[in-house]
Amino acid sequence: MSTLKKEVPKLIVMVFGILMILGSYTTIPIFDTLNAELTSWTMTISAVSVWLGAVYATYANYQLYMRNRKEGIEHLIYFVVPFLVFGLQFGAGILYGVESSQYLWYFAHIYTNIGAAVYAVMFFTLASSAYRTFIASSWDAFALLAGGLIYTLRQIPLFQAFIPGIVGAGEWIMLVPNVGGGRGAVIAAALGALALGIRTLMGKEATVTEGA
Amino acid sequence: MIETGSWMDLIFLALMTILTNYYLKKAADGTLPNLRTIPAIAAIQEGVGKSIEENKPVHYAMGASGGQLYSTLVSMTLTSFAFLKYLSSLCARLGARLIVHMPYQTESLPMIEEMVREGYRVEGKEEEFRVEDLRYYGRGALTWTQGVTASYAQEGVGLNLSIGIFYSDCPISLEMAKIMGGLNVGGTGRWIMVYAFAMMCDYVFLGEEIYAAAAIVSQNPTMLAGIWVEELGKFFSIAMSIIGVILALVGLNIAPILGI
Repeated sequence: MSTLKKEVPKLIVMVFGILMILGSYTTIPIFDTLNAELTSWTMTISAVSVWLGAVYATYANYQLYMRNRKEGIEHLIYFVVPFLVFGLQFGAGILYGVESSQYLWYFAHIYTNIGAAVYAVMFFTLASSAYRTFIASSWDAFALLAGGLIYTLRQIPLFQAFIPGIVGAGEWIMLVPNVGGGRGAVIAAALGALALGIRTLMGKEATVTEGA
Repeated sequence: MIETGSWMDLIFLALMTILTNYYLKKAADGTLPNLRTIPAIAAIQEGVGKSIEENKPVHYAMGASGGQLYSTLVSMTLTSFAFLKYLSSLCARLGARLIVHMPYQTESLPMIEEMVREGYRVEGKEEEFRVEDLRYYGRGALTWTQGVTASYAQEGVGLNLSIGIFYSDCPISLEMAKIMGGLNVGGTGRWIMVYAFAMMCDYVFLGEEIYAAAAIVSQNPTMLAGIWVEELGKFFSIAMSIIGVILALVGLNIAPILGI
């Protein structure tokens, strides 16, 4: 990698990173202004780069269709339909405006419903994985099973009536070991992120400088 | 001049920076930390072998939102890049096909392509790199989930390595990979989603392990030296917690003194 290609991005990251830190930790107005300005730049970069996604998606589906024209017919659909939907949406937006029911029809009747249906699949995936997880094959797995059972059963009125202590036990599991363990994990993950962030600001993070 | 309540954070940041500088110098002299073996790292290689035997592709997913470059979760994006480069290099070396499910943050796509390309380049097999195996599914976690699971179903899955920023997209994608017969290896630094990885993965990186594992797979001295800093930070946090509890028990609240 050439020095220019390696050093310039490193310098940009360091300068802008330090500016962001100064904006967060000091009360000097200029850094607050710079912070807000730089944050707005990220939105511009994100909006400008949207076309890249379209290029990747289109190219992948086109190539996959060309590799196997007989069995890869769905890739032709993935290739054509997005442009069709984009054209229809664009036309509806121009003709009726972006607030019109014509423009919003696709979101209200197709996009949202498909999304909800996919989201509903999560119930089945969680159920099947919970079945595997709660097999008491070791003491650790047994502890998990016992904790999970107490926590779940405490929500059912029948068990609340027949096992009086189950609500308290479930709440204790939720509020004491769960919160304690969770906080420990969050602190550890934050330290990992902080160490990586400092390396990045110092221009020493290999993922940024050398591609790992 | 200094934001109220941020003194302690600033001091901690300064300390961590000094320590990082010190351990980077130590790493430059060739002194590196001794690290325990993380079983999930060995499982990645095993999964690539399994994919080759079954003639199925290796899948890499960094989460629908896994391309965040300017949020507080950027460290996870960079960590997933390190894994991506390692996996692409491994796949190129062993001859497995790698499919990368890209996040919807389009600004990170060039970096992802470069990571994969670099992995193939390192192994001298750049001509085997296929841009069409970098999949983009548009904006939103649910479109991403549909695309990823469709790919598992249509193309098969030998190994599914999922590392990065995951929200409600991972319970579906991980379990679908499992149902399709894939070996699931993964982890996230987002504690709230670790449960899904613990339940659905055959081998899991628990929370912060992804940072340590990224350093191990990269075998980069500066990244490895960073683990020392993390560990010292952990000991410092534990010591602070114990001292804080003891002082609270004797009726002394030090939080206002520290500006917390």
